[in-house]
Amino acid sequence: MTSVPVDAGPPRLQRAIRTPEGETFLRGLAGTRVRQNGCAAAAYAALYANVDVITAYPIRPYTAIMMNLAQFVADGILDAEYLHADGEHSQFSAAFGAGSCGARAYTGSSGVGVTYGYEMYSIISGARIPIQMAIADRTLDPPGDFGSEHTDALCTRDMGWLMGWAATPQEVFDKSLLAYAIGEDPRVLLPQMVVQDGYFVSHIAGEVEMPAAAQVDEFLPPYQLPFPLDPRRPVSHGPQIHPEQGPPLQLERARAMEDAIPVIREKTDEFARVFGRRYPHFVESYRLEDADIALVISGGHAVTCRAAVNRMRAQGIKIGMARLLWVRPFPGDDLREALAGVRAVGVVETNLGLGGASYGGILSLDVTTALYHLDGPRPLVTSFMAGLGGETVPMAEFDWMAGKLGQAVERGRVEKAAHWVGFED
Amino acid sequence: MTHQVVRQTLPLLAEEDGRDLYYLPDLPEEDPYAAGHRTCAGCGPAIQYRWVLKAAGQDTVVAGPTGCMYVANSTYLCTPYTVPWAHTPIASGGSFTSGVAAGYEAMIRKGRYPGPYPNILVMAGDGSAADIGIGSISGALYRDHDALFVCYDNECYANTGIQTSPTTPYAGMTTFTPYGKAIPEGKKLPPKNLARMMAEGHPHCYVATTTVGYPVDLINKTRKGLNHVGAAFLHCYTPCQKGWVYQTSMTVELGRRVVESGLWPVWEYDPGERAYRYFHPPVQRPVTDYLAMQGRFGHMLPEHVARTQAGANRNWELIGMDVPQALRDLEDPARHQRLADEEYSMPVNRGIGA
Repeated sequence: MTSVPVDAGPPRLQRAIRTPEGETFLRGLAGTRVRQNGCAAAAYAALYANVDVITAYPIRPYTAIMMNLAQFVADGILDAEYLHADGEHSQFSAAFGAGSCGARAYTGSSGVGVTYGYEMYSIISGARIPIQMAIADRTLDPPGDFGSEHTDALCTRDMGWLMGWAATPQEVFDKSLLAYAIGEDPRVLLPQMVVQDGYFVSHIAGEVEMPAAAQVDEFLPPYQLPFPLDPRRPVSHGPQIHPEQGPPLQLERARAMEDAIPVIREKTDEFARVFGRRYPHFVESYRLEDADIALVISGGHAVTCRAAVNRMRAQGIKIGMARLLWVRPFPGDDLREALAGVRAVGVVETNLGLGGASYGGILSLDVTTALYHLDGPRPLVTSFMAGLGGETVPMAEFDWMAGKLGQAVERGRVEKAAHWVGFED
Repeated sequence: MTHQVVRQTLPLLAEEDGRDLYYLPDLPEEDPYAAGHRTCAGCGPAIQYRWVLKAAGQDTVVAGPTGCMYVANSTYLCTPYTVPWAHTPIASGGSFTSGVAAGYEAMIRKGRYPGPYPNILVMAGDGSAADIGIGSISGALYRDHDALFVCYDNECYANTGIQTSPTTPYAGMTTFTPYGKAIPEGKKLPPKNLARMMAEGHPHCYVATTTVGYPVDLINKTRKGLNHVGAAFLHCYTPCQKGWVYQTSMTVELGRRVVESGLWPVWEYDPGERAYRYFHPPVQRPVTDYLAMQGRFGHMLPEHVARTQAGANRNWELIGMDVPQALRDLEDPARHQRLADEEYSMPVNRGIGA
């Protein structure tokens, strides 16, 4: 028998080196403000994170992230293995394999691509391999529709991935770095989905501040999987278990999701210290201090929603907005704090949840559950089906929603569980 | 500066007169596939796993897609591997292993792993490699990752209770292809030629077939596949006692008889020369010598046996061997009896749900 060292700790992995071209390129970028869309912002974040393995498969609109990264690799700016997968299932499997041996892996998808690889989500989070997946939302078929809808990512919400929407290209860039730092933290070890609305964020340019590489290196330590597939310290990943061994492992994964909450707070504060941009930990509370009614929203439509809130405020309507920066783990405490005192809440869904208790969208299921545990009077809750299939949510629709919420407050009850905005008077 | 990726070269064993079947003095002592698994008595895949991992050695990373060799081997807290091993979903054998290979390439280049580049291999069953995961293995071969993709072929989905796979032979009884009045042969389709497809479709890859009947050949082809810089595919015939119904001591004998009866051509595809090298067995047998040992064929009627013999004869021609007149004559159903009436035949497999 060959003796195998089993008592040695995992070998420490060094920080990945950058190419000379990459060093020069990043030096030139440091401190500049670049106009770029959400896809480019995600690709630049992966470049700064110095990812080791990229797995790609084309589907609009997220494809542009991978196109940017392919060019970085072709130009020698980024030294990474760029793997052209034969489909999303293989794409996520390959990222999983890379992450399992200790390489920082980056992948992504949109729409039906997200659902094609569905088998992998539980497996990757269960294996506790913190790879990152960029999603630019796209409506699920049928029929073929390029437009944004949050249903693709939200389908996977219970699979153990950290998940949050970014509303601007700058936030896409920042959230990609943040998500790696949170997911790779040994207290968490969970994969992450950094989601942006297709087209509204992925393909509309905004200003993005480019940091110095040293700032990123300070914020994001080298990826150290505690149990890599390393011949120097053999481990077995994913063996078969007996039924009674299942619950403890599931509990571990559930706890990891809960344990991520303080780490998200800590890393968000750390991010503000290093980069000078401060984000709320979980919920952006916009003009909620004295609000009677509020809209809960996630993603890029929040930009229009803020403007609508301002216009209504000028008309004397006491409305505010709560934007969710993370949907997994769901920020119950922060949402309750933000919405305490509000009398009616409307959830702007931008997703499709057929036949659920909300009779409309998915998001209101979590929002309603969170608000049920509010100490003191609970607000009324209704679901607004808007922004489906890639449609914009114009200011007038937010006004209409506010009208429905105002009526609910007057009557003391909501008219119905879900309103299809644009289909009702 | 980028670090150089240093690769391993494993020595080949001597092959006296082609193959010495019984004397293996230079076999590696190490056993990365240790005791502690729960495979059946006479398990062909377990023999293959042991030879392949002996051939690869300790500086190796192994992946195993779902299949009987996942379920029987890897009991939580008690896996038989002394090398790093990971389970993958059944369709992910090729893709997960691609990711491991890509990860090591990048980590070594970027100074995150000292090297040398480990031997990276996956052992997938025929259901995984020829059916649900064929796309992911084809993708991996096409991309030419430096890894060895092994299919251990027990010619059925054994783990789930012996269902037909694309490599189940014609007339092979499985629980999804039972024989009956309307379908007396059970399985009506000839098998998919997986290895040939891999060689023809990925001409830059090292591709070989072998069986557990030839350990030196299996070890050397494993090492050639690992030494080949780029992707390699090895298709290994591994009898399944539970699924095929034969005497447990006959696993290795079956591994030779399947070759000697012309039903499993053993060959090697050299991507440099773009040429096949065929093994010519010293003995040529009628297919009944092979079929009658297995209950899964016990229901075969004379016309089914004749059809199988015709297929074997085409294989002899393919590998450049003469077909003796005696074997040509056996393409005639009138020369056969029911397989159950053959001498030494195994009981007919009537198992339902295995």
